[in-house]
This record gives sequence, structure tokens and C-alpha cells, in this order.
Amino acid sequence: MTTKRYAVGDTFTLVRECDRYRPIYYAAVSGDFNPIHLDPEAAALAGLGAPILHGLCTYGWATECFVNYLGDPAKVKRVKVRFSKPVALEDVITFTGTVTAITDGVLSAELTAKNQRGEDVLKAAVVEGRV
Amino acid sequence: MAINTALIGRSYGPFSYQVGLEKIREYAVAVAGGIPSTGFLSSGPPEGLHPWLYDLEAGAKSPYGSIVALPSFAVVFAIAPFGTACGDPELNVDLLRLVHGEQELEWFAPIKPGDTMTTTGTLTEIYSKAGKDFFVVISETQNQHGERVVKGTWTAVVRSSDA
Repeated sequence: MTTKRYAVGDTFTLVRECDRYRPIYYAAVSGDFNPIHLDPEAAALAGLGAPILHGLCTYGWATECFVNYLGDPAKVKRVKVRFSKPVALEDVITFTGTVTAITDGVLSAELTAKNQRGEDVLKAAVVEGRV
Repeated sequence: MAINTALIGRSYGPFSYQVGLEKIREYAVAVAGGIPSTGFLSSGPPEGLHPWLYDLEAGAKSPYGSIVALPSFAVVFAIAPFGTACGDPELNVDLLRLVHGEQELEWFAPIKPGDTMTTTGTLTEIYSKAGKDFFVVISETQNQHGERVVKGTWTAVVRSSDA
């Protein structure tokens, strides 16, 4: 591995699609089988139009986006997000990070996550890495 | 029936969890857009998946000596106190109206296959705002060496029944 250079102003991006089976796959690997993610009837009962993706899958995507930039999964120090809009089946989410500071070995970046209509599915998302 | 604020300070756990190698790999594959299956109709790891999250040979050559988990894999075990709080009958939460509001994790050590994690958590805040109920659980997880692995801040929102 070559030593990666990090700089304030760097941007990084990741695109992930919530295909129709993604909530099922995510339930299987996370152990979260809440029926609002899997069952159209349960989702309707909960006042949702259709099953929605687990917020923590979106959280995993945000983490993965940052890992790919850092180049080392174990350098991730912190990931904080607010879930502002559900991710629906067939939504395509674009994550974009911008490095805002590198201080005392800690790199900080702001992250946005927008669906295909440009709506934020995460707000106030910040990530930190040890560099 | 309102949420029960008397439960502030209630603790849950300890919860024990042994980290499985294939669980780490399947989690990484599912998040990266693949199918988390080892054999049946498996298409292999998705393109762009960091090799230290999946490839045993690449992991062995990494600074960690094995594959490591995508850090967010921590939710699989660190959620236990929060999950238990959500279902605590004394907290009085309608699970169909529960949404995940915010999530923060801070990591202090990598998560590796075979690690035994011990997680405890505490309900630190319960309050109502703008017709919704909120509660916060803070979790702490250590590995079998007594090292601090991950701190979690889990914020739930309960939508009002007339929303």
C-alpha cells in the first residue's frame, strides 16, 4: 500500500441503489427483521406507503463511502448522521463527502446523501478518521 | 399513553456477542450491493469492495493480520441495549410508530473475526418535543482484551398516533 495523501477540500463519492431486495439482504446480515422493512402490509399499517430501507443500511453506505476514501476500514473514528427522509425501494442514493479539517491526526468531513430527486436522506452527517 | 420518562438512567446488559468471520464478510457484501450468500447463486464480492473487508489473503497481509469488519458492522451487536429498550414494556413505545432518528458511533479498535464483544447501555434521555417522543441510549462495547471498541449514541423518535 502506498501512503495516501489527504487534504482539506478533498471530495469523495459513492452511489448505492436500494434495489427491491436490498432490505431483505440487509435484514439477513444485520438481524433487523422489523416487518416495516420487509412486508408491504406491515409498512401500510405503520403509515408508510411501502417497505423502507433500514436507516442503518444507509448508515453502512455512509461508512463505506468514507472507508473507500480513507483506504483503511480501521481508520474510521466516528460517523454521525440524522435520518431525515426514508429510503424507498428503487431509490438511488448519492453520497458526497468533503474534507473540512485535518487537525492533530483527525480528519473531519461533511457528508451529504441525496436521493434521485435531490432530497436529503441524511442531515448533519459528519465523519472523522484517524490519519 | 405517553412515553415513561421515569426510565431515564435504566441500564441494559451486559450482552455478549462473538464476531463470526462469515458474518463480517456477508455484512460487507450486502452493504456493498451484493447478495450475502456464500454458495447459492453467489456472484462473489461486489466491485469496489475493500479487500480487507472480504478477501482472507489480503486481510492476512493487512496491518491487522486478518480481515476486519466494516466499522458499521458494530450495529449488529452494539444495538442490543437500544433494541431491548425499544421493547421494554415499561418504556411504553408503539414499535410501529418508532423511527430511528439519529445514529452516532465512535470506534476505538478494529472489529476482527473471533472477537468476543460485551455491550452495555443506558437510557440517558427521554423527552417530548413538537408532539413526538424521543429517547436516547448510549452503548459501550469492549472486546475480550478489555479494550474499548465502540461507543454508540442511538436516538429513537416515536411519531404521535395522530400524525
